[in-house]
Amino acid sequence: MPPYLKNNNMSDNTPKEQNSIPTSKVQRSAKFVTTGFKIGGNYIKHYSKKLFNPEMDKSELNEDNASDIYESLSELKGSALKVAQMLSMDKNLLPQAYTDKFSQSQYNAPPLSGPLIVQTFKKYFGKTPDKIYDKFNVRSSNAASIGQVHQAELNGKKLAVKIQYPGVGDSISSDLKLVKPFAFRMLGMSEKELDVYMKEVEERLLEETDYELEVRRSIEFSNACAGLDNVVFPKYYPELSSKRIITMDWLEGKHLREFLQTSPSQELRDLIGQALWDFYNFQQHELRAVHADPHPGNFMITPDGKLGVIDFGCIKEMPEDFYYPFFSLTSTGLMENKQETIKAFRQLEMIHANDTPAQIEFYYTMYRQMIGLFAKPYITDHFDFGQTEFFEELYGFGEKVSKMPEFKQARGVKHFIYVNRTNFGLYNILHELKARVKTDTFKPHVVEVFA
Amino acid sequence: MATIESIEKAYIDFVLTEGEQPKSVYVFAKKNKMPEEEFYRFFASFDAIEQHIWTKFAVKTIAEIKAQEIWVQYTAREKALSFFYAFFELLKSSRSFVVYSIKKQPKTFSTPQIFQGIKDVFESFCNDLITEGLESNELSERKFFSNRYKDALWVQLVFVLHFWINDNSTGFEKTDEAIEKGINVTFDLFQRSPIDNLFEYGKFLAKNGGIKEKMGFGNN
Repeated sequence: MPPYLKNNNMSDNTPKEQNSIPTSKVQRSAKFVTTGFKIGGNYIKHYSKKLFNPEMDKSELNEDNASDIYESLSELKGSALKVAQMLSMDKNLLPQAYTDKFSQSQYNAPPLSGPLIVQTFKKYFGKTPDKIYDKFNVRSSNAASIGQVHQAELNGKKLAVKIQYPGVGDSISSDLKLVKPFAFRMLGMSEKELDVYMKEVEERLLEETDYELEVRRSIEFSNACAGLDNVVFPKYYPELSSKRIITMDWLEGKHLREFLQTSPSQELRDLIGQALWDFYNFQQHELRAVHADPHPGNFMITPDGKLGVIDFGCIKEMPEDFYYPFFSLTSTGLMENKQETIKAFRQLEMIHANDTPAQIEFYYTMYRQMIGLFAKPYITDHFDFGQTEFFEELYGFGEKVSKMPEFKQARGVKHFIYVNRTNFGLYNILHELKARVKTDTFKPHVVEVFA
Repeated sequence: MATIESIEKAYIDFVLTEGEQPKSVYVFAKKNKMPEEEFYRFFASFDAIEQHIWTKFAVKTIAEIKAQEIWVQYTAREKALSFFYAFFELLKSSRSFVVYSIKKQPKTFSTPQIFQGIKDVFESFCNDLITEGLESNELSERKFFSNRYKDALWVQLVFVLHFWINDNSTGFEKTDEAIEKGINVTFDLFQRSPIDNLFEYGKFLAKNGGIKEKMGFGNN
């Protein structure tokens, strides 16, 4: 029997109590759950590979892991769903079976009952949905991670109405407290160190539950990005939105996975890939704030071959003192200047003030290599994301690094969590698309000398 | 000229301001400038007023949800959910009174006097939807037990009431969650479940008693 079948069966069991999982497994699942806290997207790749490819080293990792991880995630629900989503984003790094399981997680929250939806509308608008829209379907058409989507119609326009599960906001903080012990075990960090990262995640997650903020940002970002080629956004209706409800245009199209199943031509894949690249790099380098949730479910490919972006729940703003040192490292000019590169690493807290000269040398070499890899698409004006060598090199490096005791503790400022998630997520989607992309459309702004 | 409504209003105002029932009907009537017998034309006692207010909450809720266009499409489960949500939405406007009225009840297992009326209304509402659910096979007909389904729903209502008066979450979202989860579990139990199958299997085995020996699973 293939291992994934076994796991599927296991997950049908009621989730076990956490303390019944052997410690070593807890640590393993902790690695998984908290991968988002590690600097460098390579880590997740390594751990996931190591998790599912036992012959890679002596550890007795086996297929039970996915099941355990999945169980602990399903115990957490809510925000853990989000973590599961972050993981399923790295689709091509995980064996298909596991990814499918993780992608399922977003559909596992039980749908809201019809009466609760009616109640939510009455609470926020004082009216039932059939008094607000011409047509409203009480059966949801999609699940979002913290809510569900309904189809509606008003004045002949097809609308998508997103409704949030009650109590999501309240449970985030308590969910994260549950994740904390996992993180301690895995990272061996002090509480103070860990708190910095935890706060960052908590902040983003809480922002996601604020639908009023999401509508404001969606409108802001879709206006700012309106000039980009082949990227489309739905229109948002603030007057039909509230803290728990968002009304926007219904975007026709296929999700990425469905799109790929239609075996689109290389031209079309390039075009979508280019749209994605432009969308992300325009935001990063021009807006300095970025849609930090490159989950394939947040994109649609419209029938006329455009990229539709449907979820602005998670936005990461990049302050100058992060943006310049980090993105300047993508230029060859800076990388060849050791003194300035080390200064940049210091600003990013990848090299600490109390590191010994030997440590400085070590981290300098490793991080330089790491960022050099990450920056590869930026160095040339074209990049073929379909090539597997680049990705193998990336994971290979991640693997090597994670075996080094020097990387046991987390380094790097908190901004890395979401910026890495964004960029590695983007790379992965582009890889999945096997897209060839012109990478010099929106170039990073670079400083070559630091104070 | 006093009416049911004016007496109710005056009574609610009194208990919320004073924190207790008036000392006597005489005091209450005098304060509201009406003859005592006028009071008795409508209510026999103060508890009767409270009982009436509670009953009216349920009657109003049922009228309101039945008026919704979507009502006819609802399953029995959704009808029950709909009642709970609408009921607690309605209670919001009288929360202080509800808290007062419930907190002064002695903690016993029997239904307090003031809930007699609302219990009747609620149970007849539940009976209708349970019958409907049994007919459509949404719910599972079980000897003796199906008659008790309505009691389970009443227990739920009392439970959520107590939950709600202690709920500190914004917009009483926790109560919404309690309703969603509680009613769904209750209806899951009303539905045909593995327990029914287990029970039937047991019945089958009992009827076909000798089977153990024939299959060679005896104690030899």
